[in-house]
Amino acid sequence: MRAPRLVLGARALAGMSRASRDRLIEMNARTQEPEALAVTLSKAIDAGAEAVLVAPSPQLRAALAELQRRVPLIAVLPTREWHESLEMDPGLAPLLRRARSRAPAGARLRGALSTLVRTPGVLRGDWAALLPLLIELETARLPRGELAGVAISADVADAALATGHAKLFARAVDFVHRRCAVPVGFETRNLGVMIEKLHGWGVQPDFVIGPVNPAGYGMKPNAPETLRAIERRGIPVIATELRAGGRVELSEGVRYARSHGVHGVAPDLVDLDDVPGELRALARG
Amino acid sequence: MTAPSDSSSDSSPRASASIPCRVAVAGLGSSGIAHALAIATLERAAVTALADPRSAARRNAAGMGFRVPSFADLDRLLARQEVDAVFVCSPVGTRVPLARRALEAGAAVFVERPIAIEFAEVAALVEEANRRGVRFMCSHPLVHQPVFARAAAEVAAGKLGAVRQARASVQASRVFSARAASHVTHGRGGGVVAHTALDLIFLLSRMLGLPTEGSATAIRLYGEHEDEVHARLKLASGGEIRFDCSWSVPGYPVPGTVIELEGERGHLLVSDDAVEIDGPAGAHARWINADLPQPARFDIDGESRWLEDSAFVDWVLGGPAPPGAGREALHAHAVLHALDASIRSGGEPAPVPSATPAAIAPEPAGVAS
Repeated sequence: MRAPRLVLGARALAGMSRASRDRLIEMNARTQEPEALAVTLSKAIDAGAEAVLVAPSPQLRAALAELQRRVPLIAVLPTREWHESLEMDPGLAPLLRRARSRAPAGARLRGALSTLVRTPGVLRGDWAALLPLLIELETARLPRGELAGVAISADVADAALATGHAKLFARAVDFVHRRCAVPVGFETRNLGVMIEKLHGWGVQPDFVIGPVNPAGYGMKPNAPETLRAIERRGIPVIATELRAGGRVELSEGVRYARSHGVHGVAPDLVDLDDVPGELRALARG
Repeated sequence: MTAPSDSSSDSSPRASASIPCRVAVAGLGSSGIAHALAIATLERAAVTALADPRSAARRNAAGMGFRVPSFADLDRLLARQEVDAVFVCSPVGTRVPLARRALEAGAAVFVERPIAIEFAEVAALVEEANRRGVRFMCSHPLVHQPVFARAAAEVAAGKLGAVRQARASVQASRVFSARAASHVTHGRGGGVVAHTALDLIFLLSRMLGLPTEGSATAIRLYGEHEDEVHARLKLASGGEIRFDCSWSVPGYPVPGTVIELEGERGHLLVSDDAVEIDGPAGAHARWINADLPQPARFDIDGESRWLEDSAFVDWVLGGPAPPGAGREALHAHAVLHALDASIRSGGEPAPVPSATPAAIAPEPAGVAS
């Protein structure tokens, strides 16, 4: 399945950005109202963005409710709002309980059947068994026809990467392909590490999302190793943090990322001053 | 279907002979898990055992991929597993006894902050580690954050000259109800300074020296704990730090730290985003995060966690002592002691105890708390 080449990143809405606090405050002021965010998303699609990379949040749902059109989403799952991290125990089990309580009846039934199939892993709390259940329940809450891809969130992907939980990655790819029939990938703060490990495990997602920029900012384990991994391993990369936290202009960051073999780019709302104008230029280039 | 080339997880335990530093993690809440993940990515260390009284927490750790023995308590872990170091990440109130058990077992000990709310407890623990000759460290990740590390380096290099005035603050969006405060404190005491501001206090102590005296007032919004503190800290050099902290400020999902220093020869301003120095003859320098070295090879939740854990493991294996090691573990807690005493006395100045336990006198009977 083909991953998109130009995506509007909206991860800064969830605080997932290395932009300065001033930029984040400015972005929040622009997008706080559902109508304002809705207009921004709509204009981004008209300007050539193939999808929006975003965690399904109350803020997003309110914005989508304002629109009369479909906005293709690469849904970052599972979702955990920042304040929930303060209140909930870590791990997937609390998220699964929450997702079950919010999912429509049909999804809960499907989830229960899936649980039966995966009972040993679910009882052990194996993330490889819990993650598909979470994806099932959370995608069921998205408006029909809007799911254009699934990205496993960096919090989950990087934890499994650190422990070497290869099965989680394989199961996630397999489940999303079978159940959702959309591209699937992994968001990561450790792009070079992720690519090499996935390659070593023989896992081939449709994309991996991570920082690529001329300053090497956020490129782990370091910039040279990350670039080598991108160039050698053939796993499509969608580049984020293109402005290196404000060190470079967006156009320079995109040029750099594309020249080093990334498949696509995902400039974030926080890095865009003129969302439709800048996206249109990137779509042409 | 894509399948991993190796059907088992590749976190299978290695023979102990090939793991230079075998680490146990006690306490599998969010900080314990974060440390365990960072350690799992270090070349010279491995998580070899876990402990937490909650079965759900142990199940979660196993579920995310830690294929190591886990125990309901540290005593059983230490009886059955040989470890070189223990990371104590359990709730406040349990850290001192767990750390003491680890010291008794001869393991190097890393403790989340605050180690305890009472300075005397912390001092006794540090002294015991010293007496046993066991490595002991308190976590203070802020000093490893690149912008603050650069700021500290500029001060150490004398770019500002003697610092006369400092202003520092940390703000967080953590407590907006008594229930939220209880979630943070686990009902074991301590307010915003103990649970949110210790890192900043430690960093200031490293940059400017341990303060000699503190005076503070507190605002309690949601219960008996301090939610907002305003303090003045006197330095041995004669300078002064004006210090503010709050964990009840909207708009700070990630705590925001700012330090401003006025020196004889220059001015420095550092926040989580950037560090700026103005020196003599109009000299100006500014670095944002992307300008600074980012040496961590794995990002769990920023640079600091991995760098701090890596530095501790290096120390255990014979490297240099990192920040927060040995008696330095006392510094922030000593300032906390003075600020607590001042708050209790309505803002009267209170001395910061020196970093030796003999300097601590027991509280007189009848002092209101």
